[in-house]
Amino acid sequence: MAYPEPPISMKQSNDLPKDAASFRGVPDVLAHADLTESSAELLLDSALYSLEAVYGASFTFIDRCFVFLDKTPEGQFRVTLAAKKPGATQEQLRDFVGEFSNELLACAWREKITAQNRGAIEAVTMQALAGAMGPPSLDDLEDFDFSEEPFEDPLGIAMSWEEKYGKDKAKRKEGEPSEGDDEAAAASAKDGA
Amino acid sequence: MNLLDIGPDALATTQPAFFRFRAIGDKVLLTNLEGRWVVLDDEQFGLFARGEVEEGTPLHELLSRENFLRETFDEAKAAEMIRARRTFLDAGPNLHVLVVTLRCNTTCVYCHASRANMDQVQTDMTPEIAEKAVDLILQTTSDYVTIEFQGGEPLVNFPVVQHAIEYALEKNKSIGKQLEFTMVSNFALMTEEKLDYLLDKRVQLCTSIDGPADLHDAVRKLPRADGSAHAHAVKWTKRINARYREMALEETLYHVEALVTVTRDLLHRERELVDTYSQLGCRALFLRPLDPFGFADKTAHLIEYPREDYLEFYRRTVDYIIEQNKQGVEILERYAAIFLTKILNGEDPNFLDVRQPGGAGIGQLAYSYDGQVFTCDEGRMLDAMGDSSFLLGDVWKSSYRDIVGHETVRAVVIAGQLDAHPDCVNCAFNPYCGIPPVHSHKIQGSIWGRKRESSLCHVHKGILDYLFEKLAEADPETLEVLRRWTTTRSRDHFLHQVTVGAV
Repeated sequence: MAYPEPPISMKQSNDLPKDAASFRGVPDVLAHADLTESSAELLLDSALYSLEAVYGASFTFIDRCFVFLDKTPEGQFRVTLAAKKPGATQEQLRDFVGEFSNELLACAWREKITAQNRGAIEAVTMQALAGAMGPPSLDDLEDFDFSEEPFEDPLGIAMSWEEKYGKDKAKRKEGEPSEGDDEAAAASAKDGA
Repeated sequence: MNLLDIGPDALATTQPAFFRFRAIGDKVLLTNLEGRWVVLDDEQFGLFARGEVEEGTPLHELLSRENFLRETFDEAKAAEMIRARRTFLDAGPNLHVLVVTLRCNTTCVYCHASRANMDQVQTDMTPEIAEKAVDLILQTTSDYVTIEFQGGEPLVNFPVVQHAIEYALEKNKSIGKQLEFTMVSNFALMTEEKLDYLLDKRVQLCTSIDGPADLHDAVRKLPRADGSAHAHAVKWTKRINARYREMALEETLYHVEALVTVTRDLLHRERELVDTYSQLGCRALFLRPLDPFGFADKTAHLIEYPREDYLEFYRRTVDYIIEQNKQGVEILERYAAIFLTKILNGEDPNFLDVRQPGGAGIGQLAYSYDGQVFTCDEGRMLDAMGDSSFLLGDVWKSSYRDIVGHETVRAVVIAGQLDAHPDCVNCAFNPYCGIPPVHSHKIQGSIWGRKRESSLCHVHKGILDYLFEKLAEADPETLEVLRRWTTTRSRDHFLHQVTVGAV
């Protein structure tokens, strides 16, 4: 009988630092504490959690911890929560790990729900903001930037066909084909013109 | 309710339309997308879940009427009710909180407003800032505008209150909003002269009564020389109610609105609390639990309590209020009235903190004494605690559209929709609920929060459990009382109506 391959996180159990302390109720292979550094480390299976969810959960900790993110060679997310105040106890670090895990679950699930309900959420948001803002006044329109060049376009991507290829026409001698004309001719041929 | 009774087969997908469910005592509450509801027993729920409700039975008729069956699902009826629950989306902020000063003569142990001492005159709003704020306020897309004077204690800076009223009334002549003024005051600095002015300008007056005298004075302290805070609040509440009667205003409609902030020592004194309110002629009692803002954050060890204890208190208090109503005393509990209006009438009473999306930025704005503008008063309170996350701009440089279209407003509007929240998306109370993102931000560090761990979610669920238990019991007398609480009559006397262009 073949046993299934253990999850990636299980393979890490031998990689723990010597003085790593475990947390009550938390699998050793998923999280451990480094009391000398007042920090806790979590390993997250990237098949379970998206990077967006990890970012979202991490950000709610920046008031209490310095948060370091990286990836293990096996592709797991490694999150290190280093308490800003030194001397954090194991229980305090356990709270960080527990809070982080709950927040991560909320972020991961919310990501799915907001994608599923996106239509309704956007409709309500749009109606709420449009209802509150109302139509722009003449003063608002006066402040609006209607300039013709709203952004830099060095490759001429936003230029019209005439603008892009018409410039050479004026410069070149009559009857001498330009690069633009070749492209234009090719495009016309493709369209069946 | 025992879900195992449904049987081993998967949930039927042919008969039931979209629904959410929750155990209410030994019954099952079902709600649907538009917020219609039914309460079933285990057997009925089993039939429904298995798709075995027979046509022509009373159960089939009930479920069909309330739009729970696919075969008879009325899409237009559902859309109409969803629209009715969201009419507030059509217009912008109607509540505008003007913090005319942070100075306050009272020290409350839970002060959410981050008061300043009476010598801190630099925390007074200037007449110029008041004018700029009113200029912004009257640009709202809402036809109805309420300017609420708050503090600190607004009577401390009474000249600016007067200035704001005069300026708003004058400016509104050419704009034509339905304008209303309210003031939240402890009344300790009230005089007959000030009252004459406020009544003349039809300012609706609100105060705080935190229970019987000893408890009120223990949490709301005046300097000893100024006497009892409770005595001032009671004296002026009675005086104002008497003046309304002299003005031939209907007593049931026109009276001082009083609010209670529930602190730990009140949890076992519910009857005294209700009796205090009844004796003052107050017709509504709003059992608000403590908020995590301002001084309440620091004094929590003295005044806070587990929310389970609060919910037990809530049940005992509302039971007593219902009994009082049955004996002819007209008084309601405001939380219950808000939820019941949504449950029984299928409409939203537009209470800004219990709706989705919430009122922050799109239903209310708060203007601090220094001209800064926030999504809501709680956002302003957080700013006073050093967190400016809910600051939108100021009265000098920001335009109205800058403010209500601000990124922060967009974020709280999205985060205020329960269909974007784990847990809420499956909660049977979803159509009636709402959690302000500012609350989640304060207690859980993000505007999304985690509702399963939110104290406010716990409170809302507990109150809704209680109300649906009452509705499921279906005692006719109780139902009549609860239905009466959903009747809203407008208080036209307080409205300043202007017809633009009228000579």
